[in-house]
Amino acid sequence: MTMAQEVRASDEKKLRKREWSNFLTGILFLLPSLLLFGVFLFYPMVRTVYLSLFLTSSQGVPIVFVGWDNFFALFQSTSFQLSAKATALFVLYTVPASVLLATALAVLANQKLKGIGLFRTMFSATMGMSVAASSVIWMFLFNPSIGLFNRILAALNIPGIQWLLDPQYALLSVSIATIWMNTGFAFLILLGGLQNIDSSLYESAKIAGVSDACQLRKITLPMLSPTLFFVTTVTLINAFQTFGQIDLLTKGGPMESTNVIVYSIYKDAFINYNVGSASAQAVLLFAAVLIVTVIQFKIGERKVHYQ
Amino acid sequence: MKKLWIGSAALALLLAACGSETEETPEEGASANASPPQETDGPTEVIFWHAMSGELEGALNSLVDDFNESQDEYEVEPVFQGTYEEALTKLNTVAGTTESPALMQVFEVGTKFMIDSGYIQPVQDFIDEEGFDTSIWEENITNYYSVDGVQYSMPFNSSTPVLIYNKDAFEEAGLNPEDAPMTYSELQEAAAALTEGEQKGFSILNYGWFFEELVAAQGGLFVNEDNGRAGQATEAVFNGEEGMNVFNLIKDMYDEGTFYNSGQNWDDMRAAFQSGSAAMILDSSAGVKGMIDNAPFEVGVGYLPVPDDAERNGVIIGGASLWMAGDIEEEEKQGAWEFMKYVSSAEVQAQWHVDTGYFAINPAAYDEQVVVDQWEEYPQLKVTVDQLKETKANTATGGALISVFPEARQRVVNAMESLYQGADPQEALDKAVEETNRALENDALKNGN
Repeated sequence: MTMAQEVRASDEKKLRKREWSNFLTGILFLLPSLLLFGVFLFYPMVRTVYLSLFLTSSQGVPIVFVGWDNFFALFQSTSFQLSAKATALFVLYTVPASVLLATALAVLANQKLKGIGLFRTMFSATMGMSVAASSVIWMFLFNPSIGLFNRILAALNIPGIQWLLDPQYALLSVSIATIWMNTGFAFLILLGGLQNIDSSLYESAKIAGVSDACQLRKITLPMLSPTLFFVTTVTLINAFQTFGQIDLLTKGGPMESTNVIVYSIYKDAFINYNVGSASAQAVLLFAAVLIVTVIQFKIGERKVHYQ
Repeated sequence: MKKLWIGSAALALLLAACGSETEETPEEGASANASPPQETDGPTEVIFWHAMSGELEGALNSLVDDFNESQDEYEVEPVFQGTYEEALTKLNTVAGTTESPALMQVFEVGTKFMIDSGYIQPVQDFIDEEGFDTSIWEENITNYYSVDGVQYSMPFNSSTPVLIYNKDAFEEAGLNPEDAPMTYSELQEAAAALTEGEQKGFSILNYGWFFEELVAAQGGLFVNEDNGRAGQATEAVFNGEEGMNVFNLIKDMYDEGTFYNSGQNWDDMRAAFQSGSAAMILDSSAGVKGMIDNAPFEVGVGYLPVPDDAERNGVIIGGASLWMAGDIEEEEKQGAWEFMKYVSSAEVQAQWHVDTGYFAINPAAYDEQVVVDQWEEYPQLKVTVDQLKETKANTATGGALISVFPEARQRVVNAMESLYQGADPQEALDKAVEETNRALENDALKNGN
């Protein structure tokens, strides 16, 4: 070994040592969040996958290993197919409508007018309402015998609708309530996004004599796209995980038309005590949300304009 | 670097502190409403989990206070744990540990589940030890909670379904308001006469309990093996003639336009009755008093109707019973037993019946002055008691014993709801039976049978 080689080797050793120590320091910085994630996220996830391969006792203790049987049973069960369909429809009903409505309101409320603060407060007010409180309000609105909607219909001589009791309308009714609940949060974020747009862009447009519609299309929406993307992603994931309003308004009925997967998981795990089957559904739901989110990032993000 | 270590050590400590804090919470919550501080030689604490909310919780708390004042050996601590389902789920997470409550209120369909859980102490042991005379209890009620002659739990709040009707609407429709429909054809005729404009004749909540009761009233069984009381039930049988009678009735009346679909929510059904949308409904006997107080019209109470040619068997007992935990100190068990005995005494039961409308499990309570006075004011309450007294004790009215009851009920509700969408009654029932059978099969698999 020549001198030069020796020096290089010891240099490499030093370098490796430093890298190792850097790595350790890095891990140390990450430790708090890794620990929290590990306890509250990674461990439960792994445990869920594990449980999905078992029949469990009522206390959730795995008893009989059944392999993929829980999954096969789900794919064959009409109940689960209905749940999957209800979830997909629910996402379809609520996400685009929530984002569109919130965007429209945000653009309206982004003007400098006297008293606009009042409208901004009103439009974002639903964010301050808990799901439970809002659901109770909507429950009364939808009530077939004493509810407001059917009274209005009666005043117009239109026969009343069984909003939450008719399988045709139930999911739609829950969706309407959900859109209302979503709007506040989406509105607030979008309004913030709008206010971040550089006003010089609009000034230049005004000087160039660009119409309002064109301004909206060419300036507002592209500049708002990162915020829109964020709001859509969050609303989408929330829609997949909806539970509160379903539990309070319909309990998954009528005829399982609103039995979205999260609700079905809850029923299986905490009412029927089939933790194995519930875990299998949770795994499938996780896969579905993951796939949709990945697709959204791959396709949706192309259209996003970052400054 | 040093700071970092200190930081992470502090975090670890914090986490540990959080952990132990959450473990302590139940005890803290329980002792927060204890009146005297617990000394080692003070009264033995008996934690009592229940699902009574609203006015019922008030009635229960005053009952417990009276017990605590009546002696100084035991101190019962009532802790509200949500609905029956929620309370049972919570119990499930602590059963068999030291956190487990000594006393637990469990709804009737959780009976089999509790027996199978293996974490309970049958009250029969205490009955035998003391030579306690259980014949003072209402036979129909104790029948439900005893299996193979063993009394597992102590009946506490019992109720049955009754027909509730709007007397004013009966008069307007030219019907005799003192004459409640007793058979399906009488019910259908009355409903047809009552249906006018916004008002429909009859409504049943989409809830499995009412279906079970209507089947049992005709002497029909829910599952095989004598309703699961002779052995482990393996098959549901509610799609027989009796179940079909019920489904055909609902289907016929719905198609005639005399039936009101009130959904799955008790409050919605009661609102429909009180607002005049449905002139007759089925309700729990425990809801009768509230209904009479709140309805803006005269309320009548009748028996559960049966098909014209069927023999009336009576009703299955609903409501809940008190269970004793198995893995607790002997002293706590004794305390729980003393409380159970106290609760079943005629005096306490009389007050309980008057306050809540639940049945007295001790029939001697009906001779107490408070009950006599109450019945004078609310003669309808007596109807509910008579219906139970006239019930024939057999396997049908004994009620089914299966651990997958909650799931079976969901299937029945689905089937009921599909009727309003034009489903064929036989097909709907067969499907519910098939799905219940699958649940029973899975359950058997779990228990290694």
